[in-house]
Amino acid sequence: MDYIIRIIPQMLEGSIVTAQVFFITIVLSIPLGVLLSLGRVSSIALLQKVIGLYVWLLRGTPLMLQLFFVYYALPAVGIRLDDFEAALVAFVLNYAAYFCEIFRAGIQSVPQGQYEAARTLGMDYVQTMRRIVLPQVFRLILPPVSNETITLVKDTSLVYVLAMNDLMRTTRNLVQRDFDITPFLVAALFYLVATLLLTMLFERLEKRFSRYDQ
Amino acid sequence: MMNKIEARNICKQFQNLEVLKGIDLEVAEGEVVAVIGPSGGGKSTLLRCLNKLETIDRGSIVIDGETLVKDTSSGVEYAPEKDSRRIACKMGMVFQQFNLFPHMTVLENLIEAPVQVQKRNKEEVIREAEALLAKVGLLDKRDVYPRKLSGGQQQRVAIARALAMKPSIMLFDEPTSSLDPELTGEVLKTMRELAEEKMTMVVVTHEMGFAREVATKVVFMADGHVQAQGTPQEIFENPSNERLKAFLNVILK
Repeated sequence: MDYIIRIIPQMLEGSIVTAQVFFITIVLSIPLGVLLSLGRVSSIALLQKVIGLYVWLLRGTPLMLQLFFVYYALPAVGIRLDDFEAALVAFVLNYAAYFCEIFRAGIQSVPQGQYEAARTLGMDYVQTMRRIVLPQVFRLILPPVSNETITLVKDTSLVYVLAMNDLMRTTRNLVQRDFDITPFLVAALFYLVATLLLTMLFERLEKRFSRYDQ
Repeated sequence: MMNKIEARNICKQFQNLEVLKGIDLEVAEGEVVAVIGPSGGGKSTLLRCLNKLETIDRGSIVIDGETLVKDTSSGVEYAPEKDSRRIACKMGMVFQQFNLFPHMTVLENLIEAPVQVQKRNKEEVIREAEALLAKVGLLDKRDVYPRKLSGGQQQRVAIARALAMKPSIMLFDEPTSSLDPELTGEVLKTMRELAEEKMTMVVVTHEMGFAREVATKVVFMADGHVQAQGTPQEIFENPSNERLKAFLNVILK
């Protein structure tokens, strides 16, 4: 027990990096995903194709490979990022692709009649999307978004490969230093608490946004 | 008197299917026009062309003196997007499937467009919306979400929502076709009251009773043509057109 109390400050410090990667990725990738999905359902064929290609590339290759690519390959074309920036770029681009597909499915599940009603009431594209379509999409996509968000908590551990001192690497360092596997268990607990909190948050959101179809 | 709607030679094709083959439609102020005819005859398409839910291939449409679309030698030319949206929303539209916004309460459904599109004062719009809900007999449902309402109630809300925009014309696209028979009465009653207030209306309908009793003009469409039009008396009592006779024989037997 003493040992656990002793390692907790270090592990919390590692958690800060993990939390930063998590929150910044969420805050940036969701709006980017919304924009991409709007392009994906737009009537501009070229835009649809380009975004389709983007989604295919980013979902079709391992996130770890993308991390390596951003960190090691981009300097070859003159883009040099430190480990934290590289991690964020890879995570945001990758998660935006997943969110794009989730939002696309959501937008396409809103019946055509909703667009027509909005149009006969004189609403333009932005008003229709902002006031009528996206609020309905929001409720529909909460479960898959919740899923992705929980996956992201665990995916943050991939920054390990860029030698960043996140929760995972801190844990591994402690295990190697002390020849004790207890830090692994504590780390598991950390991840579990984070995902539990997120699960509870999304359950509340789902409840709140389902009020109109009970 | 100026016509509220003047549509000339409307042609509309879906892929290889010619749905409208040169339709003329004139609607004068205060007129209630019932458009009847067999399914697939182009009735709903005609209505949807009037407010640009469908674009036409040939012809011209003038709404309330403003040109929505005109014919030129090189095809049709629509008013710029902003203008055509404004012209189109002079016409309130009521759909077969109601199309209420499910994430908004009844009151929110009514005030959404007047506040967001017409930028009118919210308090004033709410007062008017409440008056409209009282008129369609649903004021007690103002804070309820649409899913809690019966089909007939939803359709009455949809009518009130269209009226909240203060349209000068109302279009009804088979407003009772997806309702259980016992619920059509309440919707028809609301429409009848509107007609009595001299609202200009175009109603695509299978309700022959409504067409006969409320309409001032009946238009019979089949195969993409207007086959016959006239007063309800001319259409129902003394039909001269053979297609119309056959249609009435089946539907009124």
